[in-house]
Amino acid sequence: MTSTSGNDADAAGLDGPAASAVPAVELIGIGKRFGAVVANADVDLVLRRGTVHAVMGENGAGKSTLMSMLFGLLEPDSGEIRIDGRPVRFAGPLDAIAAGLGMVHQHFRLFDTMTVAENVVYGAEPRRPGFFGRGVVDRAAAAARVRELSERYGLESDPDAVVGSLSAGARQRVEILKALHRDARILILDEPTAVLTPNEVTSLFAVIRRAAEGGATVVLVTHKIHEVLSVSDEVTVLRDGRVTGRFATAEATAASLVHAMTGRAIDEVRNPRTGTPGATVLEVSGLTVGDSGAGSGSGSRTSPGGGGVAAVSDVSFEVRAGEIVGIAGVSGNGQHELVAAVLGTLPARSGRVRILGDDVAGRSVRDRRALGLAVIPEDRRGEGSAVTMSVAENVTLGHHRTPPIGSASGVGRGWMSIRAERARARELIRDYDVRTSGELQPIGALSGGNAQKVVIARELSHRAPLVIAEQPTQGVDVGAIESIHGRLLEHRADGGALLLVSHEISELLALADRILVMYAGRIVAEFPADEATTARIGAAMAGAAEAASEPDPEDPES
Amino acid sequence: MTSTTTPPATGPEAPAPGRPGARLVRAALRHPAVVPVGAVVLALLIGAVIILAAGLDPVTAYAAVISGALEPGSLDYTFSVWGFIIGMALAAAIPLRMGEFNLGGNGQLVLGGLTAAVIAGNLPLPGPIVIPLAVLGAAVVSGAFGAISAPLATRFGIPIIISTLLLSPIAVAVVSYLVRFPLGEAGAAVAQTPRLPQDARMWALGDLSYSNVGLLIILALLVVFWLVDSRSAVGFELRVVGANRRFGAYGGVRVGRLALGAMAAAGAAAGVVGAVMVMSSPFRLIDGALISPGYTFAGLAAALLAGGRPALIPVTAILFTVLQVGGAAMERSADVPRQLSDVLQGVVIVVLALRTVLDQRRTERSSA
Repeated sequence: MTSTSGNDADAAGLDGPAASAVPAVELIGIGKRFGAVVANADVDLVLRRGTVHAVMGENGAGKSTLMSMLFGLLEPDSGEIRIDGRPVRFAGPLDAIAAGLGMVHQHFRLFDTMTVAENVVYGAEPRRPGFFGRGVVDRAAAAARVRELSERYGLESDPDAVVGSLSAGARQRVEILKALHRDARILILDEPTAVLTPNEVTSLFAVIRRAAEGGATVVLVTHKIHEVLSVSDEVTVLRDGRVTGRFATAEATAASLVHAMTGRAIDEVRNPRTGTPGATVLEVSGLTVGDSGAGSGSGSRTSPGGGGVAAVSDVSFEVRAGEIVGIAGVSGNGQHELVAAVLGTLPARSGRVRILGDDVAGRSVRDRRALGLAVIPEDRRGEGSAVTMSVAENVTLGHHRTPPIGSASGVGRGWMSIRAERARARELIRDYDVRTSGELQPIGALSGGNAQKVVIARELSHRAPLVIAEQPTQGVDVGAIESIHGRLLEHRADGGALLLVSHEISELLALADRILVMYAGRIVAEFPADEATTARIGAAMAGAAEAASEPDPEDPES
Repeated sequence: MTSTTTPPATGPEAPAPGRPGARLVRAALRHPAVVPVGAVVLALLIGAVIILAAGLDPVTAYAAVISGALEPGSLDYTFSVWGFIIGMALAAAIPLRMGEFNLGGNGQLVLGGLTAAVIAGNLPLPGPIVIPLAVLGAAVVSGAFGAISAPLATRFGIPIIISTLLLSPIAVAVVSYLVRFPLGEAGAAVAQTPRLPQDARMWALGDLSYSNVGLLIILALLVVFWLVDSRSAVGFELRVVGANRRFGAYGGVRVGRLALGAMAAAGAAAGVVGAVMVMSSPFRLIDGALISPGYTFAGLAAALLAGGRPALIPVTAILFTVLQVGGAAMERSADVPRQLSDVLQGVVIVVLALRTVLDQRRTERSSA
C-alpha cells in the first residue's frame, strides 16, 4: 500500500458544505504507518451530527486503521482528532467510549455464554445495594434497560437470550445495544453487513436511520456501493490510505464512487491485440466455492452455523493460449476465492476446473502447478512470500525440486544446490531489475514494488502455460507497474494464457483481450476489449441493479 | 534508548545528535541473537535473586554449577547428558522448524526405551545385530507414535501442541504399567525390566562408563538433521512453512505430509534417546528413570533457544547440560536445591515464548 499518485481528490471530490454547527468529529491530517507501509496519509474526515457518513474503500485502503485511531485502538502518527470541536487524545478505547464513541466491530466481541442483558451492560452495570454496599449487579434493571433501548431504536432483542444461541444479525444488534447503553453519540459500524442476510441488512439500515434522526452520528465503514447509496448522507472514499473523494450521497453515482475507489493513472504499456487465441488452457464450468473464512476481510459473506453463503456461485469461463482474460470487480466479490479454487488452496463445492484439459478435482496444489499453473497472489506478504526469508529462498519455492536447483531423479533427488539457488536468484534479480542489497536480503526489507517483482519473477520463470495474476500491481509504484505489465504482455506474446484479476479498470483496459465482471460471486457481464469502457465496467462492478440504471447498459444479466 | 556511544556527527546537516547512535543501538537490539542471550541472562539474574532470597551466595552457587559440570572427573557423565539433551532437542526442533511444538517428548522417549528393552532383552542375537535392531525398533515405534499427531491436526484440527501434550502421559502410563506387571523383573522391589544381556548393551567408548556409542548415534542424527535442513528440498519446505504456512501451501508444499514426516522424525529422535538410555548403565528400563532427569524439557528449551537451527543446538544444549549436571553439584556444595535449574529453564522458555507471541502480534498488526 505505498502511496501512488491518486491525487484526484480535488477533481472527484466535492467538499461538504461548511456545517453550521460544530461537527461531532473532525479528523485533521491523520497519518499512520506500520513500518514501511503507509496505512493512512493526511486523511481529513468531518462527521456532522445527525448524519450517516459512509467511509468507503477497498480492502487495505486504510478504513479500518482510520476507525481504529478514531476509537483509540491505535494512536495516529500525525494529525489531530477533535470531538465536538475539542482536540482529544485517546489512550485507549475506554477514553473513546467516555467521549461518546461506540464501535461495532466486524468480528463481534461478545461473551457467548452470557445473556444479551449481561453483555449489553458489561463494564457499565446498573448496581443495587447488596450485602457489601452497592456491589451487586441489578439484573432486573439491566433487562429493563435493554428493553427500553430496543424499543427506542427498533432493535428487536430478547434480554434473557444467551448470546451463543443467536444469529449473526441478532448478535450485531447486541453490539449496537452495547454501544447505545453507554450513551454513544457517535456510532462506528465496521463492515456491518458482511455477516447479515438481506432482510437483516434492511432492518439494520432502518435502525441506522432512526439513530441518526435521533441525533446520533453514524459512521458506516463499507466497500459496498449500493449500501452507501441507500443509507448514507455523505461519503468519504479512501484509496491507498488517502482520501480520493468526498461526496454528498445525493450527488454521488455508482460510477463516480467506483472511480474514486479504484481509479489510477493510466499507464503506457498496452496490449497490441494482435494474434488469435489458441487452444483452451483453463476451463472453469459451473464453479461454486464457499467462503474462504480467512480473517483477511476478503471473504466477507460468512453466515453463522457453517455452510455459509457461496463466495463464488456458478461461474463458467475459459482462457485460451495467447489470451489475457481480465476479471474486474470491487474486491470481495469472489475473485480471490475463484483463484484459490483454481489453485487448490480452497475446495470447490461444485463445478469443474480443467487445466490444459485435465480435470483437477481432488488434485493437490503441487499437482496443479505441475500441470502448468503459476499464480501471482493478491496478498503478497501473507501468501506470496515469507517476509523473514531471503530473496533467494523466496524466489526458489516451487523450483526447489527441479533443475538447476534440485533434480527430479537420480541420486540428487530431494537435495538442493545452494550454489545454483543463489546463482539463479542473482540472475532473476538482474533480469527483473529488483532493487536489493543482494539475494540474501530478507524479502520483507524490500519495497512493495521490488518484493512484487520477486514474486512475479518466481511465478513467470516457471514458464507455465497458464498464469493467474491477482492484483499484480497493487501497492506498487508507477515505474514498477510498467515493467510488470510489460512482463505480463510478454507472457501473452509467448503464447501463454493469463487470467488477470484486478480492480483497476485502467489496468484491465490496457492489458486484457476480454473482460469479465464479477459481482456478488457471479460473472455479471462480459466485454470484448473493443467494447469495454470505464463507464460500462464501472456500472457492472457496482452491481446489476446499478448497471441497469446507467445510461449505457450492456445487458448485465449475462 | 539513549545513546552514549554516538560517533561525532558527520556533517553540518546531520540530524539531532544522538539519532544515528540511537538507530545503531536499535539495529543492534534487533539482532536475532539479542533475545535468546537476553533470555539466558535474565534467567541467571532471576536465579541469583532467588538464591539471594534464600540467604545464600549466588556467585558460589553458580561457580559450583560450572565446576560441578566441567571438572575432569565428571566430563564423562556431562557428555552423556549433553547427548541426551541434544537428542531431545532434535525431537523438539524438527517440528519447531515448521512452526509446530512437540510437547510429547516424554511419551516418545519411554516408548523408545520400552521397545529397545523388549527387543534387546528378548532376542538372543549377537550384539552387532541386536543393538542396531533395538535402536531402529525404538525409532520406528516412537516415530509412529509421534506421527499420530499430524493427521489429528490436518484431519481434525487438533493442534499438534495439544495432541502431543495430551498423548504423552498416556504412553508414559502404559509403559509404566508394562514395566510394573507383564514385563517387570519378577521379585524386584522396584518396577523395572530385567538387566539386558551383555551382548545387548550399547558399545562402550574406550573405558568411559557413561558416554558410549549412543552419544555418537545422537550426534550423527544431529548432523543428518543439519544436512536435511540446509540442503534438502524437504528441509527447505520445512523452513518455508515455518516462516509462513500460507506461503508454503500456495507454493505447493503438502503441509499435511510434511507435518507427518516432521512428527515421525521427531518421535524417532526421542525414541533413539530412550533406546540409548535403556542400553546404557544400568542396562534396564526402570519406571520413571527416563523421565525424571527432565531431558525432555531441557531439550525443548535448548531447541527453542536455538530457534530450531541445527547448527546452534549443540551450543544451547551445553548451557542446559551444565545447569542439569552442575545443579546436583550445586546442591551438594552450595546448599542450593537443584530445582533451581528447572526454574532457570522455565524462565528461558517463558521469555522465548513471550518473544514468539510479541512477534506474532507485531506481524498481525502490520498486516492489518
